[in-house]
Amino acid sequence: MASDFDRLIAKRLRRRDFMRYAGIAAGAGVLASCKKASTGASPASGSPRPPIAQEPGGLKVFDWAGYGGGEYYPKQEVQVFTDPYKAATGDTPTFVLFDDDDKGYTKVATGNAPYDVVHPCAYRFKDYVALGAVQPWDTSLIKNFSQLSPLLEQFGQIDGQQYFIPEDWGYIAPMYNADHVQPQEDSWSLLWDDRYAKRIAWINTLEMLVIAGYYNGVADPWTMTDDELAAQRDFLISKKDLVSFFWDFSYDFWLKFKRGDVWIGYAWPDAYGYASAQGMNAVYMQPKEGRIHWSCGLGLFADSQNYFHAHEYANTWSSAKAAAFLESYYYYGHANTTVDTSKLPTGVVKALNLDNLQAALSPPLSHPESWISRRDVYQQYWQDVKTA
Amino acid sequence: MDAAASTGARRLLRIFYALLLLFLYAPILILAVFSFNDGDPSFPLQGFTTQWYGKFFASPLLLEALRRSVIVATASSVIALILGVLAAFALIRRRFVGKPAASALFFSPLVIPYLVFGISLLLLFTLVDKILKQTAGVYIGLGLHAVVIGHVVVTLPYVILVIMPLLERLNISLEEAAHDLGAGTWQTFRRVTLPLLMPALFSAFLIAFTLSFDEFAIASFLVGTEPTWPVYLFAQLRVPSQLPQLIAVSSVILFASLFVVLLAEIIRRMVERRYGAEYATRGLA
Amino acid sequence: MDSADDARRWRRRDRASTAGLLSGPLLWLLLFFLAPVIYVAVYSVGGIKIFPNDTGVLSLGDWKHFLVGGSVYMGLFWKSIRIALTVSVIVVILAYPVGYFLALCAKKRKYVLLLLIIAPFLTSYLLRVLAWEVILGDSGVVNAFLSAVHLRSPDHPVTWLLNSQFSVILVLAYVWVPFVALPIFVSLDNLDGSLLEAASDLGASRLRTFLRITLPLSLPGVIAAFVFVFVPTIGEFVTPLLVGGPRGYMYGNAIADQFTKSTDWQTGSVLAMFLLLVVAALMVLFGRYVRVRSVAA
Repeated sequence: MASDFDRLIAKRLRRRDFMRYAGIAAGAGVLASCKKASTGASPASGSPRPPIAQEPGGLKVFDWAGYGGGEYYPKQEVQVFTDPYKAATGDTPTFVLFDDDDKGYTKVATGNAPYDVVHPCAYRFKDYVALGAVQPWDTSLIKNFSQLSPLLEQFGQIDGQQYFIPEDWGYIAPMYNADHVQPQEDSWSLLWDDRYAKRIAWINTLEMLVIAGYYNGVADPWTMTDDELAAQRDFLISKKDLVSFFWDFSYDFWLKFKRGDVWIGYAWPDAYGYASAQGMNAVYMQPKEGRIHWSCGLGLFADSQNYFHAHEYANTWSSAKAAAFLESYYYYGHANTTVDTSKLPTGVVKALNLDNLQAALSPPLSHPESWISRRDVYQQYWQDVKTA
Repeated sequence: MDAAASTGARRLLRIFYALLLLFLYAPILILAVFSFNDGDPSFPLQGFTTQWYGKFFASPLLLEALRRSVIVATASSVIALILGVLAAFALIRRRFVGKPAASALFFSPLVIPYLVFGISLLLLFTLVDKILKQTAGVYIGLGLHAVVIGHVVVTLPYVILVIMPLLERLNISLEEAAHDLGAGTWQTFRRVTLPLLMPALFSAFLIAFTLSFDEFAIASFLVGTEPTWPVYLFAQLRVPSQLPQLIAVSSVILFASLFVVLLAEIIRRMVERRYGAEYATRGLA
Repeated sequence: MDSADDARRWRRRDRASTAGLLSGPLLWLLLFFLAPVIYVAVYSVGGIKIFPNDTGVLSLGDWKHFLVGGSVYMGLFWKSIRIALTVSVIVVILAYPVGYFLALCAKKRKYVLLLLIIAPFLTSYLLRVLAWEVILGDSGVVNAFLSAVHLRSPDHPVTWLLNSQFSVILVLAYVWVPFVALPIFVSLDNLDGSLLEAASDLGASRLRTFLRITLPLSLPGVIAAFVFVFVPTIGEFVTPLLVGGPRGYMYGNAIADQFTKSTDWQTGSVLAMFLLLVVAALMVLFGRYVRVRSVAA
């Protein structure tokens, strides 16, 4: 626990010496990124890491909305993410938001992300490492790490180092309102069922191309050729008129689903959880082509001067308390294996496999959201769909 | 006989005007109605409440964003005023080679789409940051300073446009008289020209401030971690859990700005009368 | 004092101070306006390398693909032109009668009435778009009204009101009408009333007077108004983003997406430069109608 004295020092340092530390860190970052990413980055060769009391503090977390900034649950988010971290370090984190992984990555790639911790999803981990933007964690510094499921943690290991700590996980699946919708079969085809024109919502990202790929029987939709991509693009364009809107935020989709504006959608677990909690007759489908499972995790920026602070923050994220919050409020799974799922309604737990990580992650029930090596090309094809 | 319109036509035009006015103000009024609604902003209405107004004041992030916008707008307006006065003087009172080119440069920010300009500034700062990082190990980054820089550029033409007509009409004999009486250049400017320019300076400041305060496109690319009010508002629009509070705030701001517009017009007329601009343009009696 | 000496001293001071006056604003614009735009232009031909996938090699390949290579963005550009044209025409048609009424019929209170029309434009743009989001939605005001009068059942609201090209055009028109009233009003206000009287004295009907005197003389103001709306609307991206839905996607959105969601900033720069060049060309063409100074007064 940092004493008052330590806290005072940290504050004083932060205000006066920030530019100097920024200069040192930036120089270190340049040197670090000059080395090959696989050797891992430690601060500039030769200089030892300053102990936590000498770190500037003011941890900056680059994250989705709703994980501490208070966008969705002002009180609870602070209790779960800020308070334990504050108790451990005396520091208060600030949150910088990105709308989605693509926007977050672009910001980091341009060098306009002078933050400490980042929370992207697994299919992006390799990209961040390739940029040299992140450094590996020292898991021995994270007390709660042993409670995290190795099944998930392996996703964050690249070249033998734990570059990312996967924390939350969930599904992508079609969700529909059974009061109005009777699907002809359990398939992704519900997303373009012309019986329900203008009652359908798609996500506003290139994942739609992947879904189309699974539906159209492409062998590996994550590594499609230009011809396959063109076919999915044309397919989606032909179905575009059935769509009411493309959602950027899951909560947007949930609100429209709740109001009955849409009956069918590409959905994350939170929308389904809210619908169940509301008593709606919502179904989170297990399509025959399989769901997709995703996982997102914490990364530590190579330029960060808050090494030990960041590890404390990762510890907060890895706790059972954080796990309980994620499951009860967002209906997302969490890597912490000690969390108790019995408090949630059994229907939801079963539908989302919250108590059975092993099953959740296995094909053919679900496919992992995978790294796309030609992501820019996919993006262009998706832009074409949006433009048409 | 009224050559412009018959009585019947006048009645129709009056009705058209009223309808258009209704069209313009109805959405604002509807927002105000929903701001008191106890529930989501949709029909049917669910009871009267003022809770959203209370919540607005309790939101530190919102107030912080408003504060930042005020700071940015003030800073950029002041800088734009100074630069604009300088430019106006050069354009009106001086002859020099390349005046049409300079004039074109000063007014071209009027036509650039803010989207393109915002992106170009993002590019500039990204490149500069990259170079600084590699050579001097310094990182400046994006932020409010970048927004101020961008806003000065786009408000400068408006400032010049407002100041130039008044400057043109000002009778230079007043300043010459001051010189004859022994006043230096700076003194003349401060005690003769500046007061006479007051109405234009006031209008220019107001226009620049309003433009900067509400400006979204450029700010959205340059704010970094510190959102200005429009950027914050936009982000909140995308997270509709905050919608009722936002609607309350929006109503307040919309009505307040309408009030400010009317007030500004009244003040402007008062300032014009007070500083006797008519005497300045007619010259000494 | 010798007045010729004085005059010479004045003139010398003049020349020096001109440079002093100009340096501030010129420098600012050179650094923060010209330079960034030049960077975008250079990037569009490949001269800059920020991302790993930037070529860093000068080439017109991206431009060629966009202009003549059947790029989907060209179609999007023309779609945006179409939308901008529609908005501008609607806005001018709505604003002209108001300008006419205020300039030629309302005698005493015309400035106050004009201010009432213009005032909404000076309030927040985002908030006015938000208001329409609330009104046009499936559970919004319009649909609530329609279901209340039983023209539509609550299960089948009119869905194309929001998230469509219609909503983009409607909201943009709503935003711009107040702004456009001003130049039209100014040009009609500057009409010499005696011309109209002379025409009627000579026996012309009001309609003829309008068609042959008022309309032609006010045309510069109308064209200025049209240009004021048309040019910015081509690159509009905020309104389409908020109320456009899948079909309301515009050229500006494509540019914004390129720079935020993808690292293909080269293509984004091409799109941005193209928009800039089109806008510049339009201003050169219509520049004489947009005599900015006269409107500003």
